[in-house]
This record gives sequence, C-alpha cells and structure tokens, in this order.
Amino acid sequence: MPETEGSTARTEHDAEFVALLNATWFGANLPPEAQVRLVGLARRYQAPAGTTLLTEGQLANEIGIVLSGRVSLRTLVPEQGWVTILTVEPGDIFGQSALVPPYRSTSTVVALQPVDVLALDGPGLRAALAADHDLAAVLYPRVLQALARRLNATRLQMLDLFAR
Amino acid sequence: MTSSAVTTVIAEPRSGTGFLPRAEFQHLIDLLAEDGRTVIGPTVSDGAIVYGEVRAVTDLPVGVGAEQSPGRYRLVDHHDARYFAYAVGPTSWKRFVFPPTLELAQSHRDEQGHVSFGPVRHEIPKMAFLGVRACELAALGIEDRVLLGGPYTDEDFRRRRDNALIVAVQCAEPGGTCFCTSMGTGPGVRGGHDVLLVELADGFLVSSGSEEGAAIVARLGLADATADQVVEGSDQLVAARDRIGDPVVTAGLHDRLLAKLDSPRWAEIAERCLACTNCTAACPTCFCTSVSQRSDLDGHTAVTERRWDFCFTKGFSAVALGGNFRPRVQDRYRQWLTHKFATWIDQFGTSGCVGCGRCITWCPVGIDVREELNLIAPPPVLGTEAQAAAARAPRTSVFHVDAVRPETHDTVTLTLSTPDGMDWSRLHGEFVMVSAPAIGSIPISISRRLPTGMELTVRAVGPASTFVTGLERGAEVGLSAPLGHGWPVEAAHDHDVVIVGGGMGFPPLRPVVDEILAHRASFGDVHVYHGARTPGDLLYKEELAAWASRGDLEVGVTVDRADATWLGRVGVVTQLFDHARWDGTKAIAFVCGPERMIQATVSTLAARGITQDRIFISMERHMECGVGLCGHCQMGPFFVCKDGPVFSLAQLGDVFGREGI
Repeated sequence: MPETEGSTARTEHDAEFVALLNATWFGANLPPEAQVRLVGLARRYQAPAGTTLLTEGQLANEIGIVLSGRVSLRTLVPEQGWVTILTVEPGDIFGQSALVPPYRSTSTVVALQPVDVLALDGPGLRAALAADHDLAAVLYPRVLQALARRLNATRLQMLDLFAR
Repeated sequence: MTSSAVTTVIAEPRSGTGFLPRAEFQHLIDLLAEDGRTVIGPTVSDGAIVYGEVRAVTDLPVGVGAEQSPGRYRLVDHHDARYFAYAVGPTSWKRFVFPPTLELAQSHRDEQGHVSFGPVRHEIPKMAFLGVRACELAALGIEDRVLLGGPYTDEDFRRRRDNALIVAVQCAEPGGTCFCTSMGTGPGVRGGHDVLLVELADGFLVSSGSEEGAAIVARLGLADATADQVVEGSDQLVAARDRIGDPVVTAGLHDRLLAKLDSPRWAEIAERCLACTNCTAACPTCFCTSVSQRSDLDGHTAVTERRWDFCFTKGFSAVALGGNFRPRVQDRYRQWLTHKFATWIDQFGTSGCVGCGRCITWCPVGIDVREELNLIAPPPVLGTEAQAAAARAPRTSVFHVDAVRPETHDTVTLTLSTPDGMDWSRLHGEFVMVSAPAIGSIPISISRRLPTGMELTVRAVGPASTFVTGLERGAEVGLSAPLGHGWPVEAAHDHDVVIVGGGMGFPPLRPVVDEILAHRASFGDVHVYHGARTPGDLLYKEELAAWASRGDLEVGVTVDRADATWLGRVGVVTQLFDHARWDGTKAIAFVCGPERMIQATVSTLAARGITQDRIFISMERHMECGVGLCGHCQMGPFFVCKDGPVFSLAQLGDVFGREGI
C-alpha cells in the first residue's frame, strides 16, 4: 500500500509538472516520453524579487523555465554598472549555458519580480540527451529556437535603431 | 446631303498653310515682339546653341548646326542660310516656365514674436518661344501634367505657361542622340503650339495651332504655300524620322524595367556615373526642387526660395541625423532611370522622357540611356492607371503654442491651436509641415487630434526640430495641414487591432489609440506595444499606464537597454508578442518606427497570421513640399507624402525593404 501511495504521489507530482511544462511555449506539446524524462529532472522553486539566480562566470547547474514573474539577464559594464541585456518572461528559459561547455553562465540572472521557476538539472539533462536521442531530437529544436530568437533580438538591439 | 458634304471638302483644299519667304522672317520676329512679348529663341553662345532673347534674324544660329553623340557636342557650320538646322542644345524651355531659382514666399516675425507668412507673386513677362521642337512641346505637356494636372498645382508655372506663345519649328536636322521616335513625341509636331513653322531652303511653311496663333499668321499676310513646298516639308520630316530610327523598344518598358530592380547593371553604370546631375539639369521634364530659407541677419524676415534639385545629389534623399535612403550612386541612377521610364507612368499616366537626347549628349562620361535601357530591360504590354489623389488642398495657418509638455530629454509634445473656427479633429491628414521664418519647414506627424488644433510630439534631431522643440507657450508657427493619407482605422472595425510603435514611431499611432478608445465597442481585442531605446526614452508614460489600467486593452512596453533600476521588460519590441496568445488571423496591424524595426515587426506579425493587406506601416522619407510636387520623397511609384506615408504592405509590394529605393 505505501508503495502504491508513493507511486500515486509521484504520478500526481509528475502530472503537475507536465501541466506546468505545457503552459510554457518552451515545454508545450513535447511527446509524453520526453515530458516524463524532463519532469524526472525537474524541481520547482520560488524566489523573491532581487534574488540572484545565476552569476556570470559561475557554473550553470540548471536550466530554468520561467513559470511566472520576470528575470533580468545582466552584465557588469565598467563605468556603467549593471546593464540589463534582456528580460526573460514566462514561458522562456534561462541558464541554457548548462547545456553548452564550459557550462558557465554568460550573464547574471536576477529576479525582477517574485518568480516561480521550473528548473531542470543540468548534468542530468546532459546525460539524458546524450543517452536518449529521441529526447535530444525533440528538445534541441526548442533550445535552438530560444537561442535563435535571442540572437535575432540581440542583433536588432545592437543596431540601436531608436538612436535616430 | 452626302454629295454637298463631299463638295464642301473638295471646294476647300487650302491646308491653311502659308509661305513666308526667308527674307521676310524678321517681320515675324517683329510681330511677336510687337505685342509686348520678349522673343526667346536659339542663339549661339558659349559654343552651343542655347535659348536667349532674339531681336533680329542675326541673333539666330544662321547656318549653324551641332554634332551630337554620347558625351560630345560640337558646333558645325552648314554653309547655308537656315536658322533652325540643329538639334536641341543644353537649354530647354523649362527654365523659362519653371525658373532654376524662384522666391516663393516671405515670412516675418515682429518684435512681439508674432509670425506671418505671405506668398511672393512675380511679375510674369509676356514671352514668345521661337523654335520649339516636337520633343520640347511634349516636354511642356509633361510638365503641365506634373505641375498642373493634380489636386495641387504650381501657380507660378501656370502663369508663365499662360504668358508664353509657342512658335514651333518642325525638326529637319535630328542629332546623334535623338530618340523622340521611340518615345512617341516626334519628330513631327502634333499639337500644343500656337504657330508652326517648317523651314525650307528659301523660306517657311507657316500654319497655326490656336486662335492666338491664327491671328498672328493672319497679320503676316502670307500667300498660300504651293503643293511642292508642302511636299518638300513633309519629305524633310520623313527623312528626319528615318535618320533617328527607333533606338529604344518602349513596348512594355515599364514592366520590364521594374522587373530589373536587382540587375547587376546598376552597379556597373555607377562605376562610370559621376552623379554630376548634368542629365537632370539638361532634362526638359525633371521637376524636382528643394526649398531653402534665406534670412536677414536679425532673423525677422526670411525669404523662402525654391531651386532645381536633382535626385543624383546625395543630400536629395537624406533625412535627419545623416540617414539616407539612396546612399549609393547606383541607387540614385536606378531611381532616375526607373522614374523617367516607369514609375512616372504610374504617377502621371505618361513617360517622363521625350527622347530629346540631352541627357546622353551632356553626360560627361557618355552614358547612353538608349543603350542602358536595352541592356537592362531587353520587351511586353503596359497597363497603367493614374494615381487617384486626395482632393483636399492643404492650408497654411498660423497656430499658437498653448502648452509644451516635455516627454524625454530631447522630445516634447506641443499643443497647438488656431482660432480659425474649423474643427481640426475632423480633418484626416497624417502629418503637417511646421514652418517658421528663417527655419524652413519640417514634416511632423499629428500625435493627437483636437477640435481647435492638434498635438505634435517632436524630437530635437536637427536645427529645425530643435527650434520647434524649443518653442514656448504663446509662440506662433505656421502649419500646412492636413497632409498625406493616415491610418485606415475604420478598416479595423470589428477586428482585433495590433499597434506597434517603436521610438518616435509611436506618436503617429497615438491618434489611432484615441480613435479606438472613443469607439471602443467597435473593435475587438486591442494590443498596444511600444518599444524605446531606454526607459528614459519611453513616450506618454502616464497615458500608457492609464490605458493599461482600463482593462480593455493590452499594453506592452519594452526597452532595448536598461540599468538595474528598471523593472520592466528589456528586449526588442517583437518579443512583446511573438509568443502572445492572440490570434492574428482576425487582426489588423498598424506599425510605425525605424524601417528595420518595421521589417522585423512585420515578419513576426506575418508569422502570427496577419496577411499583408492587413498590415499597415508608415514610411519615412525626405518630405519637403508635402503635396507630391518637389520629388524628394519618391519611393518607387509612390510619393510618400501624397500617396502615404501610411501604406499597406500589399500596396508597397517589393518596394518595401528594398535597398536604396
């Protein structure tokens, strides 16, 4: 009986996480096997506004999916202080450096509002992607889309179109 | 009855053509001058045959002709007594009806700061143009169409045209660069003249083309020309036509040329083209101008002066802060050639070229348009339609500055009113030309419509806009309004609406939001997105907050960069909605901002299901006159000021986003 209860609890937990994933554009409509894999690597946490979630140059141990709230990606510029490069809104990810060697964060991530985050364990996800090519085939396009979107946005920002 | 009609024709064989012996030609010059006219005709000056005052037969190029080929012009002695045995020289009649420089208006500012604006009305002499060729008559006809044929007209041109008597001379000596035959304008004169001369070896065939011309011909008291003389004249014309041939295949040229906007030939020509403007200065139909202000030293009185300007100059398509839509010579050559031979037809229902060959002869590097046209666009059928233009004439009124509200460190919103009693909120233009003495005028979008006037949000980017942003309460400025076509808000009735304004592209969209909020129930879901450079550059912050708190429209705001104190969104404006939940298939979008931002935005909107006919954008171009007469804002077949500045993407087609257009 306890085993069954435990299993039920695990199932409810998984179902909740799958629902959370499905509410984000990053995680929505993945195959059930992939979702099960991901929720097995996931934890959920909340953090108050002002919390530093990742520090530039430090190991990125998790990929975060923002469920609610807003986080900023910042970098420290001498004589300018902290400059916000981008904000990450619900549905989008941060900490994808956890998938890219040397697995160190390229910016400092600070919660601008109280945030609710679904975090995927970095080393665990890397191992799963290496072992499970079906998972890799469905997840990497999402990661690529997030990066491409960010790259395109960065280009437009670099053009500083509103300067004139 | 039938037999009597036939009898009538047979009974009146007179062609109406008289013969003027060469020895009596001075009589014609005297008759033309006798009526108080200045007679202008061909004279030899500076090694060329140019138009100047003619008092006597000896002023004419007696026995002189000219050899012409690409980049070459040489006078030659024919060793005969003919006066008109030459092809057209570097001058055209344009300069007499559309002067190279012209004072248009004067403006004053008195000690109290009151400003006034008044037009300058010139005394126009009575003129007689002697020696006008068929191609030149066609050129005058094209200028009539451009400057008088639309809803806005050039009255100075009209008065000069009305004051000019036209004595045409049939072409008998075409030059080596002529191609009137291809353009359908010559060499035979087919109308537009008062008197027509056909020069023969020993005199002139003389006929009239108007009542005024008929009166002059009657006063000459000529004997009828003989049949042999008439045949001699028509043989000359046939010979001239044969000599010119048909060097440019014009059938389908419009479409062929516009299909070759990406031809590598443009860059090749640019390697030779000096962008010297000779072709455009010599062209009898080029009508582009620039207007500048000349001020007295104390700034109280200023003269507004118009001068010929040319699409080959780099500054012609420049906008504030060093922006330029046609930075390369290849862009400017393409603009000129495609305008002359293609988009001119879209605009005016006629080609802009008459085939006079001046642009070929006077090109210092000998670029030959006949050759270039055949190389770039080797033949189909053209179907064109004159642009329907708005019929409202713009008014220039003095407006008072009622309030000045700072928006950002360099941007203010001015509230302007005029006591003219008109309900300005009902006028539908998109922008106004704001003018001040000694400052000139600049186009500014209306950022709010008010019953007694309007609000204008202006950013200080150049001398004129810095002056406008520095205006204080109580100051006066001149406004020409309303101009252009605005946002088709009524087309959005019963649709969802997506409004995207980037930077200074947001103010023109504020009246759209006002209109929607005034009739909120007529629209579906409404999304308003504003992107700016930094939090300090966001416009209408209180209004945005008030709109957001209404609950019946979504407001999204983002900036390109921010410091750590900013808690709002950072990122490009498209990220406000690229993953939004709304359904674009029921939406209409209105977008304004820098062109590259518009491109990124329309791509994202298209990916969300909004079709090209439902995406409306506002284009920025160098606008000077505001009514499609100065030529600065040409963009493919459009005058942005008159046909836009708001266009649907479907309307713009592949003009949108094209480099250097």
